[in-house]
Amino acid sequence: MDIEHALEKFHSLKLVDINPGISSMPVVSENSDMMSVLKTLRTRHHVWVVKDRDSMELVGVIKYMDVIDVLLPPEAHRFRLGMTSRTMKSLLGGAAKAGDVAEKQVLTIDENKTVLDALIKMRKYKTQVLAMVDGNRLVGEVSIRILIGELLRLIKVSGAQWKQ
Amino acid sequence: MEAVTWLLFAIGISLILAKIGDAIIEHYELPGVLGELIMGMILGNLVYFGIVAPQYLPIVSGEQYVNTMTNIADTLAKLGIIFLLFLGALDTDIDQLKKTGVTATVSTVLGVFVPLIMAWYALMAMGYPSREAFAGGVLLTATSIGLTVRVMMDLGVLKSEVGAASLSASVMDDFLGIALVIFAVGSGGLFGLTLKIIAFFVITGVIWWFLVDYYIKFAEKLHVEKGILGMALGMMFLFAALAEGWFAAAIEGAFMMGLTLSKLPEGKRLMEDARAIGYGLLVPFFFVHTGAMLNLTVFEHKNALILATVMSLIAVIGKILGRGFGAWITAWGRGRDFLMTRENAWMSLQMGIGSVPRTEVALVDLMVAIQGGAIPPSDAPEFIAATLIFITVSVLITPPLLKWAFKAEIEEAKAAKAAQKAERIKETKERIKEIKGNQ
Repeated sequence: MDIEHALEKFHSLKLVDINPGISSMPVVSENSDMMSVLKTLRTRHHVWVVKDRDSMELVGVIKYMDVIDVLLPPEAHRFRLGMTSRTMKSLLGGAAKAGDVAEKQVLTIDENKTVLDALIKMRKYKTQVLAMVDGNRLVGEVSIRILIGELLRLIKVSGAQWKQ
Repeated sequence: MEAVTWLLFAIGISLILAKIGDAIIEHYELPGVLGELIMGMILGNLVYFGIVAPQYLPIVSGEQYVNTMTNIADTLAKLGIIFLLFLGALDTDIDQLKKTGVTATVSTVLGVFVPLIMAWYALMAMGYPSREAFAGGVLLTATSIGLTVRVMMDLGVLKSEVGAASLSASVMDDFLGIALVIFAVGSGGLFGLTLKIIAFFVITGVIWWFLVDYYIKFAEKLHVEKGILGMALGMMFLFAALAEGWFAAAIEGAFMMGLTLSKLPEGKRLMEDARAIGYGLLVPFFFVHTGAMLNLTVFEHKNALILATVMSLIAVIGKILGRGFGAWITAWGRGRDFLMTRENAWMSLQMGIGSVPRTEVALVDLMVAIQGGAIPPSDAPEFIAATLIFITVSVLITPPLLKWAFKAEIEEAKAAKAAQKAERIKETKERIKEIKGNQ
């Protein structure tokens, strides 16, 4: 199989089939302290924030780049009309728990959609991770990291070769 | 050189000075918007005092300066207000509004209506017509929570009961301040106007609330560059046109579009792109343009000074009384026994003081009131001067007042820190003693 075929197959993969499952996803409860969030973010690009591990009700997501707002002092943020949402994420501004920092509006995708759908949505919204939910319950994720891993696995399994 | 060359020059110089002014004022931990206004004021008065000919800086207002270029600058500034409101609403946390407790709700409503009514009557007593006096009152309604949040954070009291209530009150406060201006600029009888307002909020707030999701999904299917942003802004302008047509207040449409979009994660993702257009170009230009409207010669007439003094006093006293009393009568949800306590009175005073600062919404309401005819062109310079003065007064007076009001909490926090430090020193000394003893 050449690389074009491998990519075609990759694009048509259903997200449900490449979902890593909750156990391997970075998840913290909304009451977790910020230190555990930062520890997770040392090695992951995001961490899901759920109400508690039993219900897995999705509260939000903290992404790698959000750490900038967490670490900056409150005075480094601008105050404008509307909410002072970024400022409230600052550790020195009083943010103490994962729930204080999480972005509550999470981009989601249906698990029956394909990899191509996920890539298009990621490009449109400039995001590297999408949640898969069943109602409010977090059931999976698709991220650039997972997609790269899946593509490489597919190429390896099919024996496809890169053609210049 | 052609007139358009000087318009481009004026826009360029306005943006550069706006950002420099913003940075200077922010350095002193005050809202950067003041710096943008001051820069505009300097530019405008170069023209008013005859130092620069008006055709070289076509951003000033006044009947004698009107031409095609100033009209274009006016339109650009109007787009700035529309974007400011759209972005403000888009950044709003709707859940925060839902969580607004009884204390925050009652104190917000009274905090909006007390200064409004005080100013309405005071300005009528000064001889202004009722509609104009009402518009003057509306300028005093909305708090700018940003400064309060910053000071409370510095003082370490943002997480207190008062801090949390102040934050949760801020969304409703903005909403009321923006909505009330409709009654100042809207034309027709009260009944007809009320019907139009209800119809407008049903269309943009209820029906659109359910449709916005489908609209964005449709926009997602258009695989074109910035398709979703373009579709969202397009609908925002349609709402703005509807609001302008019905009430001469385009901002209401922009605000409602931002608010409905804010409930969607897809909507929130548009913020960075919309912010680039807004805060990179249109919003700073609006603030400079507004500052340039202040002709300092207006202070040759004592009316302007009297109006500025009256509005500044009501801006401070009206808010403290209104919001403070609103918080006091709810007794912070602790029951009747708490009502007459000193703690209730003090917490309510803190709540009132936290609501004193005004900035953006006052300026937006001012421009809407002038453009909508609620404030006639002959009185506009006085109101512009009064608004810029009460904004400055409210912004300067709040930090020291908050520090005074939270003095006990600050002392308490300091004492706790000192005790912790003493405890740590004691523990260290004991450990050293122990180690030495072991040796």
